[in-house]
Amino acid sequence: MTEIIGNLSLGLAVLLAAGAFVGALAAGKFESPQLLRLTRRLIGGVAALLTAASGALIAALLNNEFSNAYVASYTERALPFGYKLAAFWAGQEGSLLLWAWLLAVMAVIFAIVRRRDTGLFAAGALAPVAAILLFFSMLMLFAANPFRPAEVVPADGHGLNPMLQDPAMIAHPPMLFLGYAGYAFPFALMIGALVAGRKDNDWLAALRPWAIVSWLFLSIGILLGAQWAYVELGWGGYWAWDPVENASLLPWLTGTALLHSIMVQQHRGMFRKWNAFLIAVTFVLCVFGSYLTRSGVIQSVHAFGQSIIGTFFLAFLAVLAIVSAAVIAWRWPLLKPDRGLEGLVGREGFFLATNVLLLGMTLITLIGTIFPIISRVIASQEVTVGPPFYNKVVAPLGLLLVGLMAVGPLLSYGADAAKKLAKSIVIPAILAGLVVTGLWVWQGVHNGWALLAGAIATLGIAAVLIDLFKGLRRRVSETGEKPAVALVKLIDSTHRRYGGQTVHIGILMIALGVIGSSLFAVSDTPQLRPGESATVGGQKITFVKLDEKRFANYTAVEAEVILTTPAGKTSTLRPQRRFYDKSEQPNSEVAIESQLRRDVYVNLAGWEGGGAVTAIQVIVNPLVSLLWTGGLVLSIGGVFCLLPRFFRDATPAVARVEIKPVEIGRKRAVASVSHSF
Amino acid sequence: MTLIRAKLLAAGIILAIAVGYLGLTGVSSGWVYFVDVDKYLADPQYKHQRVRIHGTVAAEGFEVSSAGLTANFRLAGNGGAVPVCYRGNIPDLFGVEKSVVVEGRADANGVFQADVLMTKCASKYEPGSPHEEKQP
Repeated sequence: MTEIIGNLSLGLAVLLAAGAFVGALAAGKFESPQLLRLTRRLIGGVAALLTAASGALIAALLNNEFSNAYVASYTERALPFGYKLAAFWAGQEGSLLLWAWLLAVMAVIFAIVRRRDTGLFAAGALAPVAAILLFFSMLMLFAANPFRPAEVVPADGHGLNPMLQDPAMIAHPPMLFLGYAGYAFPFALMIGALVAGRKDNDWLAALRPWAIVSWLFLSIGILLGAQWAYVELGWGGYWAWDPVENASLLPWLTGTALLHSIMVQQHRGMFRKWNAFLIAVTFVLCVFGSYLTRSGVIQSVHAFGQSIIGTFFLAFLAVLAIVSAAVIAWRWPLLKPDRGLEGLVGREGFFLATNVLLLGMTLITLIGTIFPIISRVIASQEVTVGPPFYNKVVAPLGLLLVGLMAVGPLLSYGADAAKKLAKSIVIPAILAGLVVTGLWVWQGVHNGWALLAGAIATLGIAAVLIDLFKGLRRRVSETGEKPAVALVKLIDSTHRRYGGQTVHIGILMIALGVIGSSLFAVSDTPQLRPGESATVGGQKITFVKLDEKRFANYTAVEAEVILTTPAGKTSTLRPQRRFYDKSEQPNSEVAIESQLRRDVYVNLAGWEGGGAVTAIQVIVNPLVSLLWTGGLVLSIGGVFCLLPRFFRDATPAVARVEIKPVEIGRKRAVASVSHSF
Repeated sequence: MTLIRAKLLAAGIILAIAVGYLGLTGVSSGWVYFVDVDKYLADPQYKHQRVRIHGTVAAEGFEVSSAGLTANFRLAGNGGAVPVCYRGNIPDLFGVEKSVVVEGRADANGVFQADVLMTKCASKYEPGSPHEEKQP
């Protein structure tokens, strides 16, 4: 039953998506509002059908319908409910359905939000949306159908890969796909605006929320992936510069550049060509990421999985790239900037620099990721470049970027920005100097990178606070409000600015976490008999015993380990090695005692003689928790950017000045507050 | 205006040189040949540098001490095999007949001393996330 519903839905989705694409083209040609309405309805229809298909797959998974090959491959009767649901995106076919379904749902939201758009702009934006939906529907119907019948109906399924049986893995793929799918809409809006020959920058205001939402989902997705790697792969790290990880980082880097450079276009009418390029590249990289992870072209260990999906994706990538390049080339004259650059130290210059850095990091990561292919083609010899390459190249650029970001709030637009910066950087610089001295003297930190990171973080946080304080003082003197009221209203009046700065603080926290854990992690694997202890990085580990325990779909060998901190506090950790019923391979389940300052990460590395000698891998990982809390701060900031204002006050000028900064003149003081950052 | 352009150009060139320099040193420090067992055995140049070898774990001579964190095994290709001594955490998916990748270099006795051991995971799991057991 679910197979019929699924296949029927996919088949009809292909027809409706094709109809929507043709409808959009016709609506553009004949300038017909009726056809536009029809196109939007057809997109709604595609979404309904893909929802039905997803529902059918979920029903099949939950009801153990092993007559479906996908269900038989990725689930089993004893699998807990949450993981049965997550099996939806555990495999190729299901994860493509998820991608497509999320895209379709966002397409409906897009069609509703942009329902007042007319003419070529609307048609030009809806056509790519319909085309992308068509691609995914066809891909599933012809190359990766999640509703294929099983050749032999087994009594029980093969079960879900143990490595995927982790809470972070339930949320990680949907978040990532929301980000990937979301970048289709900035892309669609840009194609629409260019096709329609729009010279104004207002369509960027429509694009912005999509760029922010997609960026936010992508960020959360990447961090959840890092968390999954940290708790599940058992080597104590969260990022290994694996091609699959890099694939998600690439659009994130260009997406980050985009968020900043569209602001320059909105405020100053500059960077138009650059933005068009970034929008196209970001979406192309989202699709490229899917291609890379699915085609098996890079994972040389994985000779399997050479399916025709790769060819589909490659063709789609080529079409996307050619269409974007053609449209941008065709409208090149339209993308001329309103003005030239007035100085290198102002906001425009810094935005330019951050953009160049982000793009440089993208390029380097891309080259590193496809290096095996490049070397195979050029030298018919496969060469990989491992983590040392990225750590040497991307890490310094990243730190430089974070440094620019820290200075950000102190910058203004225009020619006199350099003078203003020289004045406003004094206090943050002094504070940064004090922190570095403190780290050196009291914490015994003598590593140059760590000290630099400490200085940058201090500078960044001080800059945000000083900026907030200045805005507050100005508002109090202008409105006569009480400071507390003024603070709330000030932040409320410019969500974008303060949301953005909150995101920056989140990034600073993540940067500190990365630096702390990569420079100062201490790792050792003592071999202990019951009752014996070892000390790693000041943390005392006592091995008590080894036990065997039975759970729903696996048996676990569990070590009982007592951790005694230097302060004398004790806690019990229970790392496991799990033997799943449906998997030949055991799976490590680490135990982590997490504190703000450090994680103690304990992994049951091996044992002999039923626990007579047990190897316990212990990693003392400083500041890792900042990665996750920083991610939380980043998310809060991102959501805050998107919120509407809560209060209306008597100075509506603030909101309006923002759109036309050219007119501000003497109102510069007010305007500079309203410029979002 | 032209001054700005000149400055911009200068800044751009400096940045490009810096990134290019970083890229080159990075590539040379991370440069590792990736070959299969047969190719490794055929060409002596691989015996004198750090390489990454792909092959299948042979049943004969397979010896793992999970508490001792060492694995001695023969990595087989189509023709011959390479003796490997790996030290580190034994990945969960490691075992006889498994397709694995090792990274390291040969010692004076011709034993390949590996510090990285990556296993291919069960082939039913395809996309979506890093597939490999990793060592830092």
